[in-house]
Amino acid sequence: MSEAGEHSTTPVTLVDPIDISTLDPHFRNEIRSMPNGDDLYACFACTTCTAACPIACQWTYKPHQLIRMILLGMRNEVLSSKEIWECLTCFQCQERCPQGVRVTDIIFDCKNLAAEEGLVPENILGLGRQLLESGQLYQVTADWEREDLGLEPEVPGLDPEPMKAILHGTRTGRLVGGGD
Amino acid sequence: MVGPVLIVGAGVAGMTAAVELADAGVHTVLVERLSTVGGNALRLYKAFPTDDCFFCFEGNRWRPGIRKCFYRSALTDQPNIDLRVNTTVVDISGTPGSFTVRLRTEPTYVDPKKCILCGLCTTRSEAFKLSSPQCQPQTVSVDPTLLDDEARRVASECPTHAIDLDATPSEDTLVVSDIVIATGYHEFKPQGVQEYGYGEHPNIITQLELAEMLDPTGPSGGVLLRPSDGAPVERVMMVQCVGSRSVDHFPFCSKICCVFALKHANIIAQEHNGIRVDVVYMDIRTYDRHERYYRMARRAGVGFIRGRVSRVVPRDDGRLDVVIYDSLLDQYLQYEVDLFVLSSALEPSEGTAALISQLGLQDRSGFVAPVEDGSVDGVMAGDHVFVCGTALGPAEVPESVTQARAVVSRILQGGV
Repeated sequence: MSEAGEHSTTPVTLVDPIDISTLDPHFRNEIRSMPNGDDLYACFACTTCTAACPIACQWTYKPHQLIRMILLGMRNEVLSSKEIWECLTCFQCQERCPQGVRVTDIIFDCKNLAAEEGLVPENILGLGRQLLESGQLYQVTADWEREDLGLEPEVPGLDPEPMKAILHGTRTGRLVGGGD
Repeated sequence: MVGPVLIVGAGVAGMTAAVELADAGVHTVLVERLSTVGGNALRLYKAFPTDDCFFCFEGNRWRPGIRKCFYRSALTDQPNIDLRVNTTVVDISGTPGSFTVRLRTEPTYVDPKKCILCGLCTTRSEAFKLSSPQCQPQTVSVDPTLLDDEARRVASECPTHAIDLDATPSEDTLVVSDIVIATGYHEFKPQGVQEYGYGEHPNIITQLELAEMLDPTGPSGGVLLRPSDGAPVERVMMVQCVGSRSVDHFPFCSKICCVFALKHANIIAQEHNGIRVDVVYMDIRTYDRHERYYRMARRAGVGFIRGRVSRVVPRDDGRLDVVIYDSLLDQYLQYEVDLFVLSSALEPSEGTAALISQLGLQDRSGFVAPVEDGSVDGVMAGDHVFVCGTALGPAEVPESVTQARAVVSRILQGGV
């Protein structure tokens, strides 16, 4: 038996570990309690999700690492990560997961939590504002393509006004600051 | 002519072989080094794959009556079984089919047929104790190093005169037709694996030591307390592959430790409210149908960290600071734990090497190797020499039973 100072098997290292006691142990339960999070715990880190992901090669945190971080309680790192917003929502990870973890849906849950905490990236907020202001993300313009296809310049029956009104009353409106 | 058959080791495999041979009419001599049968299984609270208390489920399921009484009824009452505890094999000579075996029996001091477990001696002297509530033969055992005047007085007052402290060791020579090696395993005590600090701090223990702490009939009544100061345990961390899969220690996978650890993690997560369990692993190998333990553990909230231990540093408050490299995250993590449990390798039990050399058998990483041109069941170790259970290498209880039955089948067919 030895005291801390004289522990013979302890090498001096430059390791600066993440102190688990500084993490949020409730984060995994928070995610688990969300509609798609129930099977979060089933993850055994096989990395099938990362193998399936078409974009993870560009990510610092791969999909399996995001799940791992949720289980560990790395709430701030997950909710402020750029990865959850870059997810293409192709659902390949979720389709292939051998343990039934709803990876894409969990990433949606993370985005919802991040949004509530004001952690939505500026470019996403910009899209939200555009939706709110114009009622649509893409302006249909009366350009040559419609003409070539023999279509009338304006989309018949398209009226973004009701959409704008609805969006103002929704969470999107609140999040981008233009709603109630 | 088959019999008598010598069975070395009265653990799961040895007992199964003895009972089945005896029931088939073959005289068997069952030799056990310790004072009680049961082997390592005696120290398990729950055993996989059924999670029953070991003593309630194993044995012959078809035997009428209460299964719990299996050992009592078979090992002490079956006339074809000659059970000899405190006994070791000194020497084997002769030829296959007619081995001459010399046995040495240390005194037990207490006659199990007379002892009524009244508790008179165990309450008055440290020298007498009941090694386990499930011990078989059901009798008090004696530690001869603690015998003092009080112990001698107590012995003379035994109401059934079961105690004879003047008993001496004895030797016996037998001729047997077949030998069954069922010497089992010993859990490696990992002093030699430096980074885990086993032996340097009382809160660093092995899985079998944890099993005893979890046992409701154990010293703490199944409550998890820190060995260092008796404080309640709040955080447990387990480490897999300690000594196993290492060319420096044991080059093989010890096979049962993953399920063993998961079983304990599940017991703690489900029966001990609020204790956090994390398991550090390089692979979780839940072979066969045991994958359910793994999923059950994850559902119960047991944490799994793929990686290895960087260092273990004892703190002044009795806890240990453990730094883990998490290879999935490529990050180092630091945990505070009360109990650091090592899933240590299974090594051949004491005396297995001597039997291997006396009988001229093949050795496989220290365990008994089956003969190459032998049977498909892999239980033949030589001419009229058989091996079953963990003497062959790491195995779970059902496998040990299956191997023991294969041995019985071979012996009944004439030992070939």
